[in-house]
Amino acid sequence: MIGIAPAPPGYLPRSELDRLIAILRDEGRTVIGPIARDGAIVYDEVTSTSDLPAGWTDDQAPGRYRLSQTGSPRLFDFTVGPQGWKRYTQPPRVPTGTAVREDGSVRFEAAVPDPPRLAFLGVRACEIAAMLVQDRALAAGPFVDDDYRARRAAALVIAVQCTRAGSTCFCTSMGTGPEVTEGHDLVLTELDDGFLVEVGSQEGARLMQTLETDPALDTHRAAAAAGVASARATMAGQGVAAEGLPARLMDRLDSPRWIEVADRCLACANCTMVCPTCFCTSVGAVSDLDGMVSTTERHWDSCFNGDFAKVAGGNFRPRRQDRYRQWLTHKFATWHDQFGTSGCVGCGRCITWCPVGIDVREELAAIAPPYEAQLPPVARPPSLDNLVPLPLISVPPNVLAPAEREVDTIVAAVVGVGSETIDTFTLRLEPRDHAILDVSPGQFVMVHQPGFSPIPISVSRVADGLLWLTIRAAGPATQALVRVEPGAEVGLRGPLGEGWPLERAMGRDVVIVAGGIGLAPLRPVIDELLRRPEQFGSVLLAYGARTPQDRLYTGELDTWRRAGLEVSEIVDRAGAEWLGQVGVVTQLLDRRDWRSRDAVAFLCGPERMMTATVSALRTAGITRRRIFVSLERHMDCGIGICGHCQMGPFFVCRDGPVFSVSELGDLFGREGI
Amino acid sequence: MSPQEANRPRVGVVKLASCDGCQLTLLDLEDQLLPIAQRFELVEFPEATSRRSAGPYDVLLVEGSVSTPQQAEEIVHLRSRTQLLVTIGACATAGGIQALRNWADEPSWRAAVYPTPEYVGSLATSTPVSEHVQVDAELRGCPIDPGQLLELLTALRIGRRPQLSGESVCLECKRRGNVCVLVAGGQPCMGPLTQAGCGAICPAYGRACYACFGPREQANTESLHRWFGQERELIQVDRLFAGFNAWAPPFREPAGRAVAAAHPGEGADAPDR
Amino acid sequence: MTGQQSAAVELGSGWFGSGLSPHAVSRLADCCASVRTFAAEDIILREGAATETFGIVLDGRVALRLLVPERGAVTVMTVEPGDVVGWSALVPPYRATSTAVAVESTRLLAFESAPLRKALQEDPALAATVYPRVLEAVARRLGATRHQLLDLYGRDQEAVVW
Repeated sequence: MIGIAPAPPGYLPRSELDRLIAILRDEGRTVIGPIARDGAIVYDEVTSTSDLPAGWTDDQAPGRYRLSQTGSPRLFDFTVGPQGWKRYTQPPRVPTGTAVREDGSVRFEAAVPDPPRLAFLGVRACEIAAMLVQDRALAAGPFVDDDYRARRAAALVIAVQCTRAGSTCFCTSMGTGPEVTEGHDLVLTELDDGFLVEVGSQEGARLMQTLETDPALDTHRAAAAAGVASARATMAGQGVAAEGLPARLMDRLDSPRWIEVADRCLACANCTMVCPTCFCTSVGAVSDLDGMVSTTERHWDSCFNGDFAKVAGGNFRPRRQDRYRQWLTHKFATWHDQFGTSGCVGCGRCITWCPVGIDVREELAAIAPPYEAQLPPVARPPSLDNLVPLPLISVPPNVLAPAEREVDTIVAAVVGVGSETIDTFTLRLEPRDHAILDVSPGQFVMVHQPGFSPIPISVSRVADGLLWLTIRAAGPATQALVRVEPGAEVGLRGPLGEGWPLERAMGRDVVIVAGGIGLAPLRPVIDELLRRPEQFGSVLLAYGARTPQDRLYTGELDTWRRAGLEVSEIVDRAGAEWLGQVGVVTQLLDRRDWRSRDAVAFLCGPERMMTATVSALRTAGITRRRIFVSLERHMDCGIGICGHCQMGPFFVCRDGPVFSVSELGDLFGREGI
Repeated sequence: MSPQEANRPRVGVVKLASCDGCQLTLLDLEDQLLPIAQRFELVEFPEATSRRSAGPYDVLLVEGSVSTPQQAEEIVHLRSRTQLLVTIGACATAGGIQALRNWADEPSWRAAVYPTPEYVGSLATSTPVSEHVQVDAELRGCPIDPGQLLELLTALRIGRRPQLSGESVCLECKRRGNVCVLVAGGQPCMGPLTQAGCGAICPAYGRACYACFGPREQANTESLHRWFGQERELIQVDRLFAGFNAWAPPFREPAGRAVAAAHPGEGADAPDR
Repeated sequence: MTGQQSAAVELGSGWFGSGLSPHAVSRLADCCASVRTFAAEDIILREGAATETFGIVLDGRVALRLLVPERGAVTVMTVEPGDVVGWSALVPPYRATSTAVAVESTRLLAFESAPLRKALQEDPALAATVYPRVLEAVARRLGATRHQLLDLYGRDQEAVVW
């Protein structure tokens, strides 16, 4: 409990639990609690204690879940069922806004969350921990899932402390239970004839007063403590060696075990669906036949799905082993980098509900066993029985604070469309709201056409109040975009992402290496360098394209040369009329020497081209700390919430798309990341 | 006819060897039928209209598998007169339940069923349309899902890629809130291997999925087969694959074993083609 | 300065010749080397013909072209100053694998093939210094060619129906 005077615990006979439910309902809340249905304990509306699963208990094992009736009067004698409270805080389908096309113009309206007032009855410690973890992912900023935040705020949490644990439970080793220590309004511990009731918040204190519980006796407190202790004791030895796990796991990206587990894994996504912290979604467009009224909708998705990491040029995680590795390393390792906590709360659902019984505890032990040699020779690891619960990293009090930046979709009119190559076009757009023109070189916008899911496009220039977007017509959405008539309107959101760090290049030589359409996000850098050339040293643009006809901005290349840039071009192949270089872009860097010059490099192009270029630049004397690359990943939201664009610990949309090669480490250019 | 009406895409709906259920799904889109007809010109759809057209078609929905010599010829002609060919349903996308004969001695089956088998012109195999001509898109299912059909037509009209995911039925089950009949009910549910699109309708009623939408991308059939085999006889597990999508490559091997077990003496290997 | 003296100078100053002993440099220069100038569109080697010349580009640019009947001559690589032309002079069957054309006025440090091969055969120490350099040049070219083969900038392969 943080910041409130501790109230003494109360005691509520079991027969009186109905009064609590009634109070909550009278206050206008729907009570969601456990019910036994279809062979499992699920969370649904509860109107009285007769709805609760009296006497039901669960038996869980990898790939197996069975309920059985014991005849006991206990109402909470089970652990966790297939789905947690995520169903109510981050529902499977959430409309995020509408786009309406009318009389040639478009209108975008963000959905206004209007969540029902709920009371969650029977929330376990691991589930509270999961909510706090999701709070960090979805509501801690800089961008916030408004719907999630509103639903969290509209739900009371009445926790229940576990007095038994299942064989797949391991909250003790993740430091999330079984004791409920924070995040609750009230917490109940079931005893033989009733409940120990303890307060966790102001709201809880108020409820307890209204409830008028009896004072708790020492026997009640002792029985409660004993119950929780027995749950803890059950979990001894069935956990995960959590300490130091992130580093060990990231050290084993090449373990053969990934291939072995992929042999068993169905990539069916059940583990991610039942996991209470998984938050990945996809954005779909639900529209009428004509696309005049279209709703964008976020629905549950999973990194195990084939298309999750797909981009126009291919798929970054095509194999099952890539995806399993992504899930496990994200959950247990890179989650720490992103959110300061583990993604796993030890609830064991992924183990039970995996159709083929893959047990993450077993996989982790096989892939990343503890380094025995590193343990001090005399100290022996304390038994899990005696572990004091690891405190949750304290959540900042303003974790549910308003977003720092608005991300509304604004309307922009297409003023002109010019063709750069046979399949690449530049749109010039005039936004109604000029704030979006404050673009740093390297940033991008999400472009929203009614009837389509939004897509990310780099900004290739800002000039005269217009935003220029260079687009390759690679799929239906981009094809539709380049076919718009001047005057047509589209939606834009942004500018988003971290751009090129021009301040690092001041006073230095600048090497710009672009491949294909990669010149588009680099053009704003050139624009900026030419605006204030006195602040930079010499500038080289090395540009590689497929053929001479596939080069972008051919009209400007000479202009840039005349302005003092060294512009070198090379193509993969050409006809006899081309008198320029033919080969690969790294050849333009041959026999250059930037050693003892603090040069800075900006790269954009296919990843393979960028990795080859990094090698060539390092040979030529530019360190990785001063080489910056712009990465491409699948993006559905552009604001770090849908989870698609993750690459190791990074959200490419939010931490990038520009990164220094040194911060990317050996994940850059690696297969299946 | 208004200019708008005159510019409607010409749509044909045809069938090969099938039960008609997939075509009827278009008619099942009751509320949408009129708007659809206003936006698409249904030039050939024998189930719904007496209007006939031999093409050309902007969009041709093809139901049914290639089961007779005439159908094998017809599909090639249809392809040559079609811009966008979309196969609908398990017969057209995988060969259908009738593909079970692919492992069998077809002439002897024919003789067992028909009094004058020589009147029946049947190929030895029932094969999906994609084994004969280039297919531009497919809707899985037995029958197809009306929502997916509507999404396809909407996508055609708007110009977006149809939102037809290759994810597993499990995602639909979990989004819907179904309790897993495999893990909690011990049923041999094919959901993890099956392409989504039906909304997880069978598990919603406590019945295991039987893979009528066919195998999803990279379906790991060996793994689930092994798992089911822990508590069942091999033949019981093999039979799970010998359904409407038996001939789909990921299901073919166990399906063939199931057929062979039912008809000893007939090869479980796929016949040469 | 005679043609051979200037060849020796050029040889000594580029990457190909760096690290060669003075003996090797003079041996190479004497046997078969000269500095030759080609005008734009001059043909240095013909695809399929015997490779008469092995050279190092000093300035200018040489295009390596293959004839594709439906497409005409396609330039698959250009050779910049410092790089080699006609390595096939040293590898059986000693026939050019592409047509080498000067794209602009180009100076080449040129070696006549037959005398060069003879000199390398007679002087194993010389051969031991020359062949690794040729191999290195060919290896770099192979690496570049592989990257070109990846067609990294290629347009979407799937027929974009939707």
